[in-house]
Amino acid sequence: MARLYEYQGKQLLKAAKVPIPQGEVATTPQEVARIAEKIGKPVAIKAQIWAGGRGKAGGIKFANNPGEAETVAKDLLGSVIKNLMVEKVLVEEKLEIDKEYYVGIIIDASREVRAPIVMFSTEGGVDIESVPSDKISQVPIDVIRGLRLFDALNLAVPLKVPTKFLPSVAQAILGLFQTFKGFNCRTAEINPLVITKDGKILAGDCRMAIDDSSVFRHPELGIEVAREAPTPPTELDKVAWQIEEGDLRGTCYIAQMVPEIVGLNYVGYHGIGGGGAILGVDALNRQGLKIANYADTSGNPTAAKVYRAAKVIINQPGIEGYMLGGFIVANQEQWHHAHGVVKALREELPKRPGFPCVILLCGNKEKESMEILKEGTADLPGRIEIYGSDKVYETEFLAKRMKALILEYRKERGIKEE
Amino acid sequence: MEFKERTIKIIIDESKCVDCKTHACAAGCKLYDRGILVIKDGKPALGGDAEYAQRVGTECLACEYECWFRGNKAIKIEAPIPGLEEYLRKRGLSLA
Repeated sequence: MARLYEYQGKQLLKAAKVPIPQGEVATTPQEVARIAEKIGKPVAIKAQIWAGGRGKAGGIKFANNPGEAETVAKDLLGSVIKNLMVEKVLVEEKLEIDKEYYVGIIIDASREVRAPIVMFSTEGGVDIESVPSDKISQVPIDVIRGLRLFDALNLAVPLKVPTKFLPSVAQAILGLFQTFKGFNCRTAEINPLVITKDGKILAGDCRMAIDDSSVFRHPELGIEVAREAPTPPTELDKVAWQIEEGDLRGTCYIAQMVPEIVGLNYVGYHGIGGGGAILGVDALNRQGLKIANYADTSGNPTAAKVYRAAKVIINQPGIEGYMLGGFIVANQEQWHHAHGVVKALREELPKRPGFPCVILLCGNKEKESMEILKEGTADLPGRIEIYGSDKVYETEFLAKRMKALILEYRKERGIKEE
Repeated sequence: MEFKERTIKIIIDESKCVDCKTHACAAGCKLYDRGILVIKDGKPALGGDAEYAQRVGTECLACEYECWFRGNKAIKIEAPIPGLEEYLRKRGLSLA
């Protein structure tokens, strides 16, 4: 699911006639001061990061005037909160909160339901998972029929929402559902839905995630990589995404673990089959090696896709080795992986003689794949070891081989680990 | 001659095919792909038009490989990766 930032979600809610606090997003302290002056009231300055619990982590600050806002922003922008760099902040009017409600929509994929579920609670501002069930009302929605006004009212009335707030609360629920459906969300929530001391109802915070397969329908959202990730995509993630985007012939998933490699012991990791590949990562870690990226080419990708994946992985500056972690006896015809990897190695290894490569490839057409790999790399100037299904369980052995080859390569180049 | 599949371009230097005895490219295409490459007048040719290659080809890379090892090294496949050269250039490196 591709996530939206709070400020993006709020713009969608505003379009759906859900009231939001007055505010704008800023990337510099000077912009923050300008927005605070425009608002003309005390403001909240909220780090725009994909993480919950921002308040407790110091990601939400308050300021009484533009000067204070600028000072606060100087500390907040560029800081790291929950391992995420704060590049943008949302500057909003500070709300005088009287009560906090919750509205959320998820997809219930169970066989009995297979529908969106709209949830409402009078206990907002906390994790919904911690709210007792008698404080939550929910209803599954028939996507053809949709959510009607009386459905929304039927969520709020049993929880004794004061009558004067019912129309606005129901409108907020309807607006969230309209947004959820219109933008093909997998999840959407307003938490808290704030009742202010002067009786206004506004979306205090929101979270939305768009279905990856629907991102192409919404270019206006500016989602660069239609894939769930804990952090925004790096420059190389965006390059790698182009291999996958719009091409569903197998998977080519690449995610950088570090945007820039500093130090030694990083391996370019090319997994086959997400689950089994993780075992290889664990084994590398036990040898003191780290993966510069995680990757998975499976689901019978084309040889061209595999080639591109291997090229991107090997071209990460600073890696000391490449592992094709095929820790799976796969159904797919593995000779496509063999052709793809061979083409990449034939282009890259002459540029880095002696570069360590440990290749594990198992499964359908394994015999032919081994022949292609061995023939295709025999004349290359690398430290290349090729293994088949007799080693598919031998994660420790293969990780030790990767480490040994890296140490040889380092010694050859006169590099010492400090 | 050259032709495109969905995301790659196959470039064949036909001057190197003149004395090829193996025609390994076509044999490889039949084994690993769908046999879109055939031999006509002793040289590789597409078994259909350009749209056919785009629709039927599976980007197996086998013709290039087979020509390397059992032919005359006449085939070059270009599979560009947009943005990678720029990414490396910013770091003082190059794909070349």
